[in-house]
Amino acid sequence: MKRLSLLVAAAACLAGARARAADLPSLWAERAKCTVAVEYVTETELERRPTIAYGTVVDSAGTIILPSAAIDLRISPRQMKDFKVYLPGDPEGSPAEYLGRDAYTGWHFVRAGPSVLGRLVPVTAFTGSAPGRELQLADEVWGVGLRNKDEDFMPYILQSHVALIQSLPQRTAIAQQEVAGPGLPVFDRDGRFVGLGASSFGQTFLEFSGAERGGSPVMLVNLEESSAFLVADEVLPFIGRIPKNVFGRPLAWLGAYGLEPMDREVAAFLKLESQSGAVVSEVLEGSPAEKAGMKARDIILGVDGKPLPRFRPDRVVVDYVERLIAARAPGDILALSVLRGPSRVELRATLEEEPRLVREADRTFFEKIGFTAREFVYGDAIARHSKASELSGVVAHLVKPNSPADIAGLRPDDWIREIDGAEIPGFAAAVATLAAIEKDSSRPETVFLVSRGSDTAVLRIKLR
Amino acid sequence: MSGGFDRLLDSVVRIDVRELNFEEGARRIDASIGSGVILTQDGLILTNAHVAGPRSVEINVTLSNLERVGARLIGWDHWTDLSLLRINLDDVKRRQLAFKHAEFGDSERLYVGETVYAVGTPHGLTRTVTRGIISNNNRYFEDTEGVDGYETGNFNTWLQTDAAINPGNSGGPLVTEDGRIVGITSRAYLGANNLGFAIPSSIAKRVVASLVRDGSITRSYIGIVPKALQDLEGFYDMATNTGMLVDSVESGSPAAGAGLRAGDIILAIDGRKIDGRFPEQLPPIENLIASQAVGSSLVIAYKRASREASATLVTARLESRMGEEWVSDTWGIGVRKISRAFARENQLHDDTGVLVIGVQRGFPADVAGLARGDIITKINQSPVNSLDVVREVDAAYSARPAPTLFEVQRERRVSLVVLKP
Repeated sequence: MKRLSLLVAAAACLAGARARAADLPSLWAERAKCTVAVEYVTETELERRPTIAYGTVVDSAGTIILPSAAIDLRISPRQMKDFKVYLPGDPEGSPAEYLGRDAYTGWHFVRAGPSVLGRLVPVTAFTGSAPGRELQLADEVWGVGLRNKDEDFMPYILQSHVALIQSLPQRTAIAQQEVAGPGLPVFDRDGRFVGLGASSFGQTFLEFSGAERGGSPVMLVNLEESSAFLVADEVLPFIGRIPKNVFGRPLAWLGAYGLEPMDREVAAFLKLESQSGAVVSEVLEGSPAEKAGMKARDIILGVDGKPLPRFRPDRVVVDYVERLIAARAPGDILALSVLRGPSRVELRATLEEEPRLVREADRTFFEKIGFTAREFVYGDAIARHSKASELSGVVAHLVKPNSPADIAGLRPDDWIREIDGAEIPGFAAAVATLAAIEKDSSRPETVFLVSRGSDTAVLRIKLR
Repeated sequence: MSGGFDRLLDSVVRIDVRELNFEEGARRIDASIGSGVILTQDGLILTNAHVAGPRSVEINVTLSNLERVGARLIGWDHWTDLSLLRINLDDVKRRQLAFKHAEFGDSERLYVGETVYAVGTPHGLTRTVTRGIISNNNRYFEDTEGVDGYETGNFNTWLQTDAAINPGNSGGPLVTEDGRIVGITSRAYLGANNLGFAIPSSIAKRVVASLVRDGSITRSYIGIVPKALQDLEGFYDMATNTGMLVDSVESGSPAAGAGLRAGDIILAIDGRKIDGRFPEQLPPIENLIASQAVGSSLVIAYKRASREASATLVTARLESRMGEEWVSDTWGIGVRKISRAFARENQLHDDTGVLVIGVQRGFPADVAGLARGDIITKINQSPVNSLDVVREVDAAYSARPAPTLFEVQRERRVSLVVLKP
């Protein structure tokens, strides 16, 4: 009798599973509405280049998050134009607005226009009222992929099981196969939101050819689908971090450059067996780290009194520290425990607003000379080992092929120090000088003094 | 042909060199073949610096009578791509070998179109004579890595010839019909037709004299990179055939210390007027500076914008960017000392450290993740100021292997790694 009841129970379970399996198409149809494709155009002096990324709707105002990799960080937000949102399966895009990138999550935020608002469903509609069971190994999960533009971004389903959950440093689940497009949501068997597709991991394959009979390893990365996803707890608490402006300001800045992980063997050598750490390669001039007394080669062992946790692989500790900084605001205090030579040193740094970044720098294109002058910013000085307190000159950001500047040998990233023998104090002065040169049609040439690596060069640009 | 030419043929040798190479993180021996010419009865041989140099561990020469005899390096000068060897005279005496020696001609009197002959060992073909003309007697080129990574060509122009020059001709003489040496064959454009180059004998004579006397050549350095003024006179408002443009001033150099800046025009050096209108005119000017005794005071008259000024500077010793090399067989790593020139070029803080030039697979350095191009700045927390520091730690490690902490700089990132037995 007992045995029979057990059997009955098992049959009931099976029936339950079948019943829910039948629900999947409806769960799917409802949830695909929280995904969109976002298209934008990168407009440079020479071309317009469209880019497509996939995103997830996170609130009823039509806010969409795109993964960090969706937009190249070197591109200035001023060059990103014509944002459009496409609903899955709909060939008509509608205008959208770029809101900026959040430094902590790395996400880009976009807002859909009012015309499509009614047709979007935020992913928060599928989080359930009660806290869900924590994701576990072997859990069945499914997610959304979107086809290409020529297929009207048709949504399709991907299904898999959780194979591994890692801290990278965010809790990241890795499924057995691809489970969602990067930036698109993942759900469990009950339709509950369990995570957001992350950038996919490369997989190594052996490539065989006539010449390479032993096979040579190649790494392939699937850009359209990913088997990795951030678990919901790494997503939902942060969907409200909508940037206040397109540059994502304010940005908290410490100025400890080039953090490198301390591996286990180094920790053992330094008698720090159970410790994790990050070596500071350089302390940037004028930075909060410098003001707090940090020195190059210090090893950061703890933040705010807590030792840095151990990660697998070791290098994740670098992201962990950088996220601790990004989570704060300028003016916040960061307490650091560092190892300097044999001794421990406690530092207190007051974070500051990060100096102007290259993507925020002003630019002006000079058609006749054939290049774009870009404001010289803090990061340029650091990259060129020059004094950051004495910003001067401008950077050649783009050199138009076959233009007078190109023929004279000007190259992108050249640092223009002098024009016609006169020093260039800053961007405004450079623009005024260059504009006057372009305006003067009788002028035969202009001479730039540029820095390039450790050398300089005198370039004679023939204008006629 | 003339008697002089016969005599020349009897003085040209084939040179077989075995040299050390640390670029695989191990002591590897490479073999190569070049040419040379005997200059004196006591067995001095002139060849190229890229044929025989400090890395050579075994040098054998084949005389015109096909007898083989050993030789050793007397000195080299990569700036002009010249090396001087001495035949093992004891061996020559014991085996009663005979050879002749050749005479220098005057390269200054060569005219374009004059017939010249190249004698050497192209592709190992001993005693090959090819004929051509002087195609250009004042060719300019510099090559920052031209002699096995060492700089060359800054202080001389080159003879260009269409006599066939192939690999293995290097170090052989370029001669006139009377058999007199007017150049030392050095290089050719591979894949081009008969574009060969030789160091003029006028330069070679001076280099040989210094190498015989001192075993090396000491030059002065002031730290400017010159550029031909070519057509910029108008811009700088100057008379034609006056001045040399300073394209770059190396940081920390005597010129930088004296306040010279890129864009300045050097008008005179110690009262000698300078004409650097064309690239071909630059090596003699650089040579003028380099020929000063190290530590001499030079007065540089220059023009900046519309103002003329002068600066006095004290010359420093010219150094190559290539430092001394060494290999650790225990760690499986080849290293080269960072020179001041390398540090300057790569915008390093100072010349502390050694550059990794090779890593042997599976050895401790490889296992720890060191790679070619890394700079080892500290070992066991002590700065690496010299190769001796590395040698000492290596010796201690070999005697008693124990985990060793390396501080490594890659690009601008500093990381720590442990090398383990």
